[in-house]
Amino acid sequence: MRLLSVAARRALLVLPLVVAPAFASEPAEGGPVNLLEPKGGLMFWTLLVFIVLLFVLSRYAFKPLFAAVEAREKALEDAIAGANRDREEAQRLLSEQKAGLEHSRVEAQKIIADARSTAEKMKADLLEQTRQQQVEMLEGARRDIEGEKSKAIADLRREAVDLAIAGAGKVIQQNLDAAGNRKIVETFLASIDGAALRKR
Amino acid sequence: MIPVTTLPVSFARLRAVAVAAALLMPIALRAQHSEPAPAVTPSAVPRPAGVGDSMGVAATMIAEPTAAHDTQGHGAAADGKVDIITPHITDGNHLEIPYWKPPFYKEITLPHWAPVNFPLVGPVDISPTKHVVFMWLAAGLVMALLLWAAAASKKGHATVGHPKGFAAGIEAMALYLRSEVILPNVGHHGEKFVPFALTMFFFILFMNLLGLIPYGSTATGNISVTATLALIAFVVVEVSGMIAQGPGYLATLFYWNKDLPIVMRVIMFFVMSPVEIIGKFTKPFALAIRLFANMTAGHIVLLALIGLIFTFKSLVSGAPFLMAVAISMLELFVAFLQAFIFTLLTSVFIGQVREAHH
Repeated sequence: MRLLSVAARRALLVLPLVVAPAFASEPAEGGPVNLLEPKGGLMFWTLLVFIVLLFVLSRYAFKPLFAAVEAREKALEDAIAGANRDREEAQRLLSEQKAGLEHSRVEAQKIIADARSTAEKMKADLLEQTRQQQVEMLEGARRDIEGEKSKAIADLRREAVDLAIAGAGKVIQQNLDAAGNRKIVETFLASIDGAALRKR
Repeated sequence: MIPVTTLPVSFARLRAVAVAAALLMPIALRAQHSEPAPAVTPSAVPRPAGVGDSMGVAATMIAEPTAAHDTQGHGAAADGKVDIITPHITDGNHLEIPYWKPPFYKEITLPHWAPVNFPLVGPVDISPTKHVVFMWLAAGLVMALLLWAAAASKKGHATVGHPKGFAAGIEAMALYLRSEVILPNVGHHGEKFVPFALTMFFFILFMNLLGLIPYGSTATGNISVTATLALIAFVVVEVSGMIAQGPGYLATLFYWNKDLPIVMRVIMFFVMSPVEIIGKFTKPFALAIRLFANMTAGHIVLLALIGLIFTFKSLVSGAPFLMAVAISMLELFVAFLQAFIFTLLTSVFIGQVREAHH
């Protein structure tokens, strides 16, 4: 609102001044001189002289006059722009570096974690495998022992039978009643077998 | 819209100058008829030729009461009063040049040329007048001085690294205006406006100063000159605004505030747009009137005081004499000040229109 009032006051003040020259008329000879009367010739000369002056001065006076200053300013501006560019570049490189570092760290972490899990898995596998083998070996050993034992028992039995037969032969040589004797022997052997089995 | 902060300053200045001019102009106008204050009898002073020259020349003119030379159309009235102010501050087809015999000036009549027919404008009388001649002189002096200063500066930079003497002063002045006045006000990429603003400054300064030397006359005390300069400034300001803003330039003419609700916006559009458009023309108008009124008013005051010296014709004349000296010094300052203000305000206007946002 203040803006409006200032502008309005300004406009109101200016209005009569704007209108004034319009009412200015050619002064009569010897009459009062109108200081606000614009003269075309003078305006023409002002325009012409100013344009010529502007052309000549800007070309031959201000250009050399400001050449040194402008060169210095330009150098300064370039230096500042260069410094800014360099700083931005450095910033960019730094962030890139940081990102790379971060990336490698993550990578390393991942590799370590992978390795750890692999090792863990391998260890578990190996353990499992060992246990399996152990169990298998145990099983095999037990089977072997069982086989050996039964073979030994069979061997022993055959041997015992042979021995018994050999013994019996001797007995028969003495006592020809083989049938009756044999029965005795076998009964005896059965008793041995049962006792032995029970013993085990 | 013009920022509020800059308004009161220029407004106050405009008002002060307008009031001063309004107060002083009637003195000049009435002086022709009956007002005795600045007028003296023709037997005492026929016509001083200039402001600064007045002491020596006018003193001789008392001893030389010829008054027979041509005063027609310059205010010689039948009742024996002669107007010394109006011929001095107005334009004319006569030129006073220094002359070795009393009254130490010679009046030469400038040639009259046939009017030239300009397209769209019509016939214009471009015959040289007093102010035209002094404008040429000012332009010539500016050109000579600045070209010399530029050459000297170039030489100075090439040999000792810096210019010397008066050329250094001119360079410092131009550099100060460029870096402290024009560039900060015009804004970004204001370099292309520097030659324009500086040409304006030096041209106006020399036209102002030529009124302070003996036999001189101030072309900037003529409304046609200041109006044309203001018109040039106006065109530069508006064209640079159009270039910088593109279609956005219309926003500096038509008020369309998007912060307002739509109803208020439309109302304000019709209220503010005329104000904005008038504001466009106010700026160059103020420039023209400020310069013209300052130069004219200063000369009127000075001439009135000089007139008083010869009116008193006694020891009392010492008082107006001292005042005339003081006012002359003030005028010397005003010559620089007004050239500076014209340049400064033109730069400010260019900056405003290039940066304007709505």
